[in-house]
Amino acid sequence: MPVETDADPVTPIAGLPAPDQRPLLVAQHVSRHFEGVHAVEDVSLDVLPGRITGLIGPNGAGKSTFLAVLAGTLPASSGSIIFDGHDVTALPAFRRARRGLVRTFQLPSEFAQLTVLENLLAAAPDNRGDTLRGALLGKRYWKGDEDRLVEQARILLDRFRMSAKESDYASSLSGGQKRLLEIMRALMLQPRLLLLDEPMSGVHPSIIGDIADYCEALRDEGLTILMVEHELHMIERMANPVVVMAQGSVIGQGTMAALRQQREIVDAYLVG
Amino acid sequence: MTYYLTTILVYAAVDILACLAISLQFGVSGIVNFSFIIFQAAGAYTAAVLSLPRDTANGGFQNYILGLNLSFPLPWIAATVVGAVIAVPIGLVALRRLRSDYQAIAMLVLSVIASLVVTNTPAFLGGAAGLSLVPQPLSDKFNPYSDSYQWAFTIGALILAVIVFFLVQRVINSPYGRSLRAMRENEAAANALGKNAVALKMTVFIAGGAIAGLSGAILVGFITIWAPSTWLYPETLILFAAVIVGGRGNNYGAVLGALLVPVGFEEATRYIPPFGPPGLIPALEWVCIGGLILGFLWFRPRGVLPERRRVFPPRRQVAEVGNPSASRD
Repeated sequence: MPVETDADPVTPIAGLPAPDQRPLLVAQHVSRHFEGVHAVEDVSLDVLPGRITGLIGPNGAGKSTFLAVLAGTLPASSGSIIFDGHDVTALPAFRRARRGLVRTFQLPSEFAQLTVLENLLAAAPDNRGDTLRGALLGKRYWKGDEDRLVEQARILLDRFRMSAKESDYASSLSGGQKRLLEIMRALMLQPRLLLLDEPMSGVHPSIIGDIADYCEALRDEGLTILMVEHELHMIERMANPVVVMAQGSVIGQGTMAALRQQREIVDAYLVG
Repeated sequence: MTYYLTTILVYAAVDILACLAISLQFGVSGIVNFSFIIFQAAGAYTAAVLSLPRDTANGGFQNYILGLNLSFPLPWIAATVVGAVIAVPIGLVALRRLRSDYQAIAMLVLSVIASLVVTNTPAFLGGAAGLSLVPQPLSDKFNPYSDSYQWAFTIGALILAVIVFFLVQRVINSPYGRSLRAMRENEAAANALGKNAVALKMTVFIAGGAIAGLSGAILVGFITIWAPSTWLYPETLILFAAVIVGGRGNNYGAVLGALLVPVGFEEATRYIPPFGPPGLIPALEWVCIGGLILGFLWFRPRGVLPERRRVFPPRRQVAEVGNPSASRD
């Protein structure tokens, strides 16, 4: 059931365009504690549709933990998460993914002993053969769905120029290719909001630019992205707004140019 | 000779069923079910106490519950169902919250506990002495000591193994099997992509439990006795060794492993001339099983017949008109 959100209005911040649409995701006072360690503390955040929102901050700021809480990989200790008008705070990760809230991981998380094409197919929903009953009914029962999804996966592979790797084991890919594979795999779910956790870390500089291009193209097609990233020049190029976290809390948000004017943020993270 | 051959073949069918179940659970899905043997035992005990008459019969020399004297195939069907049903509470406890290495430890402990409980409650399932004189299927209509009965039983057991082989084959070659393999490779990532890992694990655990239960029913129907000494926890390790040697996640590997390790290896050691103190040869068997597991994990971790790579047929030519030369290498 849709719920009314009583989120605090977004505080106008210098350089941040006023939100002209309803937020796709609203995090309200979200905290996540580990045995007394306050990894995320009272974070409230709106993610506006059709944009790339950057989430930056020093190591240990709680960015990845916050992303994991949004995706349901970790439960929130307190607070609530409203996605597309629905409270998803109590939903497990797989249910959030089925609703279109899909994440990637900070460390490569490919299905190593599956081929590249199988990695994509494994993520695809709506396959009649993806139940025990469907499997037992045999290939004739699910072949139509399978053929459709193979074609859909191959279109993605073409787009990301990975077709030649289709039948390779995912474990054999380079670091950058694994990042692209993760993004493609997430796209197979046709997400509404894509949570990317450092998609450019450990990636060859030539592929960093490609990843940025793909993200911008996806945004232009209407996909909403929340991205944790340390490549600040790429965040500056792609993301608006940018949210800064430090010690588990949000210490500022706005455009990158506006954030550079705030001394405490520069001191906390943007040194240099 | 008939007895020898039929015994070998029935054991082969039972071990193939067990290895198929372990391959589905461990090889395809990554569930380290070190309590596997208790599912086989549950099936065997169920088939036995449903086939046997009341324990006051035969002079009351053994004690057990039920004793319903049911006709074949009801005891075998019930054994399959019980194997599946006991997987539910075990799975709910072990598979929902524990990490895979802790799951393995929990299941190993459960296997030891189950054996101790049955051994120390003689009124339940015969205690350490176990159950004997279990009626063979349809023994009231046919002479179970005849060669033709022995062969019919053997062929029936092999047919059941073949049917289960094809059912498991359907599962692992389907999109569902792909989801299981994805979960095995990275459970958190599979969850984040909309896969309900707990449901996947529970389903496979229950299906494996059903197959194990059936295998126990077949075995007790043939050997007509069952006791805790036949299902000690190391028996599970032999079956794991078989799947590791044959090839995890490949049904043909599971069959090959079943024929090589529990059937072939154990049979071969019978022909070694006795030497050393009593019990030395069986002890060396265990050393060899351990060595076999270590050797394969070190030198050929994917087994003799590894899980095959799934390659999809290429696109039709029309769809291929794109820009293949632009592929990322």
